[in-house]
Amino acid sequence: MENRITDIGPPYYAQFFPPVIKKNYGKWKSHEIIEPGVLKYTSETGDVVYVVRVGTPRLATTDYIREVCEIADKYCDGYVRWTTRNNIEFHVTDEETLRALKEDLKSRKHPGGSYKFPIGGTGAGVTNIVHTQGWVHCHTPAIDASGIVKAVMDDLIDYFESMTLPAQVRIALACCLNMCGAVHCSDIAILGIHRKPPLIEDDRLEYVCEIPLVLASCPTGAIKPATVEIDGKKKKTVRVQESRCMFCGNCYTMCPAMPIADGEGDGVAILVGGKISNRVSAPKFSKLVIPYIPNEPPRWETTVKWVRKILETYAKHARKYERVGEWAERIGWERFFELCEIPFSSKTMDDYRLAYDTYRTSMHFRFTSHVDIK
Amino acid sequence: MPVVEYKGKKFEVDEDGFLLGGLDAWCMEWVEYVKQLEGIEELTDEHWKVIKVLQDYYKKNGVAPMVRVLSKVTGYPLKKIYELFPSGPGKGACKMAGLPKPTGCV
Repeated sequence: MENRITDIGPPYYAQFFPPVIKKNYGKWKSHEIIEPGVLKYTSETGDVVYVVRVGTPRLATTDYIREVCEIADKYCDGYVRWTTRNNIEFHVTDEETLRALKEDLKSRKHPGGSYKFPIGGTGAGVTNIVHTQGWVHCHTPAIDASGIVKAVMDDLIDYFESMTLPAQVRIALACCLNMCGAVHCSDIAILGIHRKPPLIEDDRLEYVCEIPLVLASCPTGAIKPATVEIDGKKKKTVRVQESRCMFCGNCYTMCPAMPIADGEGDGVAILVGGKISNRVSAPKFSKLVIPYIPNEPPRWETTVKWVRKILETYAKHARKYERVGEWAERIGWERFFELCEIPFSSKTMDDYRLAYDTYRTSMHFRFTSHVDIK
Repeated sequence: MPVVEYKGKKFEVDEDGFLLGGLDAWCMEWVEYVKQLEGIEELTDEHWKVIKVLQDYYKKNGVAPMVRVLSKVTGYPLKKIYELFPSGPGKGACKMAGLPKPTGCV
């Protein structure tokens, strides 16, 4: 404990402000997006700052961060910032440097051919995907995070580098339904789900788990305490009533002796129509539209195909400024399913506690065709 | 799983060094072993009071007490518990008392 320093908090943010930001703090008058990925802010003092936004994979090496710093040193006096969706923003004050910076960013590629710093992510396009740990680091995932994100962004790179959609589309991914990140409030959300109940390791459960915690962790009350005999010894354990289990994996989070991951059972669910801004309509939760797509590493072709399908259908039919959720609610969800050609199944119908409010209690509906997908 | 040996006793532990055999495997040698891991110089009555409360609560209820309960029963504020166990009530005190490793998004 000697010489230990604690409770000093993060460094004060203002010490990392570029000089032009420091000088004009609280004095900004207007901004415009001069092209995809490049913003221009004008201050009351007449100062102008250009911001170049570039995509990142979020998971990065120190070499990559050093390269970002090298770029910042070269063009921005060593100043750089990260956004809330893990893009990087470089600030410059004159057009000459802006041009040089853009040229430089565009020229940098990984040996495999991917762009290191693709410029974009502004306005009505698809910006970076907020995502989680996946198979890189977590112990409860049902799907990978970085892999699917790379596959989806590869497919949607044109929407990252352009602003052609009715409104911005936020895509998020969480690898289990803890939903770390923004899955529950994103326009399109990719979520990892299980389809089989947990395996119970009776021999060690009572030593590594606090059984009352396990019982209380179950949202459907499917877990009950039990006693089993192993080699003549009585052991405390639990039993899962499989007809009540919906495979959330909460019990595994609380108890390491109840693993639930399964190569064939696990997969992707797609949710649609959430938002967090208050613009025009109130914030919305995203809603389940595709209950299950199998895991297909390394490129997740079916997931990628459905995300593009939903995005393109939305782009074709929605009105300007309309977010995915606002569009779906305006045309009615039955039309949404028809236009996107998503087969509707009973899995999409809510059956959890407050489900009644999600059913249709009116005569207002459209006749639509049920869609079969080959 | 790894096995640690201390003063002639063998303990099966997990990757974070928590006792796998539960309270059945707990003994004085385990306390000594964790004490030197934790960098605690001497075990005082106050340390023992915390360990005792944790073990009694676990035996009675099957779960480790919440931090507020631990504070209320022992009469020690959280700050004091950190002074006794520098790694805190979970990683320090529970480990020494032989309770299961805390789970969830810690």
